[in-house]
Amino acid sequence: MVKGFRPETLKEALKLRAQYDCLPIAGGTDLMVQKARGFALKPDFRKPLLFIGHLPELQRLEVINRQIHIGAGVILTDLLNSETIPDIFKEILALMASPPSRNLASIGGNICNASPAGDTLPYLYAMDAQVVLQSTDGERIIPIAGFITGPKQTDLKNSELLTKIIIPQTEFDINMYRKIGQRKGMSLTKAAFLGMANVADGKIQDIRIAFGSVAQTVVRSGKIEQSIVGKSTKDIVKNISEISRQYAALIRPIDDARSSAAYRKKVSLRLLEEFFVSNLAKVSNLRKAQSKGDIE
Amino acid sequence: MKESISKPIQRVDGPAKISGEARYIGDMHFENRLYAKTLRSTRAKARILSVKKPPLPRNYFIVGKDDVPGVNRMRTVVSDHPIFAEDTVEYIGQPILLVVGPEREKIYDIITKIKVEYEDLPALFTLEDAEKNSEVFTDYHYEKGEPQRAFGEAATIVEDEFRTGYQEHVYLEPQGMTAEFRDDTMFVYGSMQCPFYAEGALTEALGWPAERIRVIQTVTGGAFGGKEEFPSLTACQVAVAALKTGRPVTMIYDRDEDIICSTKRHPSIVRYKAALNRNQDIVALEIDVLLDAGAYNGLSPVVLQRSMFSATGVYNFPHLKVRGRNFMTNNVPSGAYRGFGAPQTIFGTEMMLHNIALKLGIDPLEYKMRHALKRGDPTCTGGKIRDIVKLPEIVKRVTQMSGYHDKRKNGQKYHGIGISLFLHGCGFTGNGEQTIGSKIILKKEGEKVILKVSSTEMGQGAETVLRKIVAYTVDIPFENVIYESVDTGKVPDSGPTVASRTTMIVGGLLQQAGLELKDRWHEADKIEVTRTYRHPDYIDWNNDTFQGDAYPTYSWGANVAEVEIDPVTYEIDVKKISAVYDVGLPIDETALRGQMQGGIVQGIGWATIEVMKTDEGRLIQKNLTDYKVPTSMDVPEVECDFINNPYEFGPFGAKCAGELPFVGSPPAVAAAVSNALGVPIRSIPITPEMLMEMDSDEN
Repeated sequence: MVKGFRPETLKEALKLRAQYDCLPIAGGTDLMVQKARGFALKPDFRKPLLFIGHLPELQRLEVINRQIHIGAGVILTDLLNSETIPDIFKEILALMASPPSRNLASIGGNICNASPAGDTLPYLYAMDAQVVLQSTDGERIIPIAGFITGPKQTDLKNSELLTKIIIPQTEFDINMYRKIGQRKGMSLTKAAFLGMANVADGKIQDIRIAFGSVAQTVVRSGKIEQSIVGKSTKDIVKNISEISRQYAALIRPIDDARSSAAYRKKVSLRLLEEFFVSNLAKVSNLRKAQSKGDIE
Repeated sequence: MKESISKPIQRVDGPAKISGEARYIGDMHFENRLYAKTLRSTRAKARILSVKKPPLPRNYFIVGKDDVPGVNRMRTVVSDHPIFAEDTVEYIGQPILLVVGPEREKIYDIITKIKVEYEDLPALFTLEDAEKNSEVFTDYHYEKGEPQRAFGEAATIVEDEFRTGYQEHVYLEPQGMTAEFRDDTMFVYGSMQCPFYAEGALTEALGWPAERIRVIQTVTGGAFGGKEEFPSLTACQVAVAALKTGRPVTMIYDRDEDIICSTKRHPSIVRYKAALNRNQDIVALEIDVLLDAGAYNGLSPVVLQRSMFSATGVYNFPHLKVRGRNFMTNNVPSGAYRGFGAPQTIFGTEMMLHNIALKLGIDPLEYKMRHALKRGDPTCTGGKIRDIVKLPEIVKRVTQMSGYHDKRKNGQKYHGIGISLFLHGCGFTGNGEQTIGSKIILKKEGEKVILKVSSTEMGQGAETVLRKIVAYTVDIPFENVIYESVDTGKVPDSGPTVASRTTMIVGGLLQQAGLELKDRWHEADKIEVTRTYRHPDYIDWNNDTFQGDAYPTYSWGANVAEVEIDPVTYEIDVKKISAVYDVGLPIDETALRGQMQGGIVQGIGWATIEVMKTDEGRLIQKNLTDYKVPTSMDVPEVECDFINNPYEFGPFGAKCAGELPFVGSPPAVAAAVSNALGVPIRSIPITPEMLMEMDSDEN
């Protein structure tokens, strides 16, 4: 038998979580697939389920002190429809699964599933998002990169629930996201690239680069990003092969049923170059032209 | 004067399917019924040393080879597939036995407790290995003209080789079957294309006469060939189980099980050797077709025949030497799939001509048209193209629709346009129609006419089209034509619902019977008219030498594909397919358009997205997470038109249509990709992984 608890409040949920060794479940779009045993059979849940998708405390979506606080139970459709969510994140969300899945899937579930192909993760890594982990003993707030410890592995303690995701309310001038799937919709990610930057006076002020689905977890390097900040876009384009080499050392994809390691690596680096050569360079040229009043 | 029959009406099977009222086999209730689940081989090739069974609770049964009262083989073209494995298993997923009982959870529990002890045997996994080891199931040859002499006199000889991959049907409704033994009769209900195939298989498995067997088709949620021969296997299995247990037995696959064990499109290698004369025209062609039949031959010999008889496409090559072989591998058996062997060779031939044209610096379309068949020309097997060939009109229309010539001239890298020309032989291959001798019945009852055929509605619109033919012929309202439920106890054997034969062959018989009924309408309140199929007199076919008319007639088409390749990621975006077909005359233009769009998209899937490979006999893409088919997001703009060319022996002039669109889109897409990147394409599916490698090799 599959047993389950359906608490009415977060407080009640945390109590149950402390009391029982149970499996939190929200939309179930990952878990129900992973635990499926076959037609007309009960899924293979070894632990009692703790239903949390409906908890009102996990549905909030608000801006506090220039930070976006997203309840872990907020479904992807609601994020897509929200005015608070930056366009680039919406672009990412719109390419996830299908409308029916997005109506069920929660952002917290996508994080806790900790798939190397998890589609919200490159953005959350790039934004230095933090996760709020609550238990009856209190709460911890840790960076997403520290929370996800490996493929399908997180630092979530048995007594904790992921309740909130905090994203700095920052938007970038230049944004590029590409998801490579086997088809245009309802596809798991073979490789994903996210690049975001601010450029002023031809120089890079801030840059965030994240790769999905090409290593055990999201690939992001603060060190490489720092080495780029302050440089002119021209210099960066000149130095592109060096930057590419540095990222190449971090990108360690696998061969699987959906793609090859060789393609994943190559396409990631090509997207990186595309980001610098086309997007960054183009936009900064455009800026220059705009400041000269050549075009509107 | 009535309106043209081509004018669309609402599909009769639509509302129940859309509203959810349609009852599939999984929705049907049977009193006192048991469920069955299959224990399958986990080895590619092995001797079964022992099967250790746990003690069974009351009302649970194990059903295996010893329970089959008749012959433990599934009857089809080559009846080699055991209903339940005997001493050996030959592929991963091969059925060994059924566990049957009232509760599914318990059945699964019992299955996990059965221990099969195997001794692994050397196995073959690829066409190349099978060829090296000469593991040939079937080896066919035919010739035309004097190929040897022509090759001797050739100015140039060009060789090329093409490969195609597996394709899974992904019918919406997985395989499902129920058997119920009552009144000394075995009733078998299920999702299927060919109830009489199942009936025939059951007569042998049970050792009973057909009179004691009733096969009833339930609402069938898609098939595409995947429910042609395969359901004969499950029908026999559940019937044996129902006989043993004395209770109705239902077996329904879930998607993962369905993918692992059901038949797929044959992977192929097709090799060409072309002899060109001084004008660069192909005067002789050697074609070598290799199909991976998997562990059992089944109906693969006929697939191979269609593959070989379609291998010259819409072209007339004066001298030919064609060989075809089905190879045995320890992979899941291949089987019927829309196009039935033709898509593999049509792809190869189209790309072979495309590649030669590019090498010669000639426009592929111009080069292809230099070889095009004309009325009166011999077919590849020495038959005759008797009907008017409207290929020039088709090409003119499709190039206008698509702006083909301008777009080719102004091509840019990463934007490609490509054209395919193709045909499809209508009806059964070779002597199939003569052997089957389809029968139909029309029965007048008062104002109504009951239409009795074994043609199954599987989503393609057969019921609408056949009723329409009768209503128009007898000149009665559509509503007054009743489609008898497809039950082998109620309808005659009008043949299987395959080979794009339903409208032309069965519809043709209905039209003949309808005309008689119309003449005799006032004779009585109850009149029964029957018809049995006879091939047109002029058709001469020798199935031993493969000489003569392999098909009574052909449907034709041309596709222009436009693609964009992402210069960074090499993702392929099929933007538009322009398609023009000659199917004689459309019986229902909307239904036909839907079938064309579906076939085009299914072909695009095979050519681009649908990667399925095996690793030592194990499918790598074994579920819908990893094996992708196009979604509505992947469907390009499709512009479709028809050139009327009524066929004398078809109802209202209709020819075949169902498989034709599938055959056409893969080579058009491949030619467009070739055009976009300036590289030859020699295998499908074309993936970004493959293109990135090819393009960087070129650079």
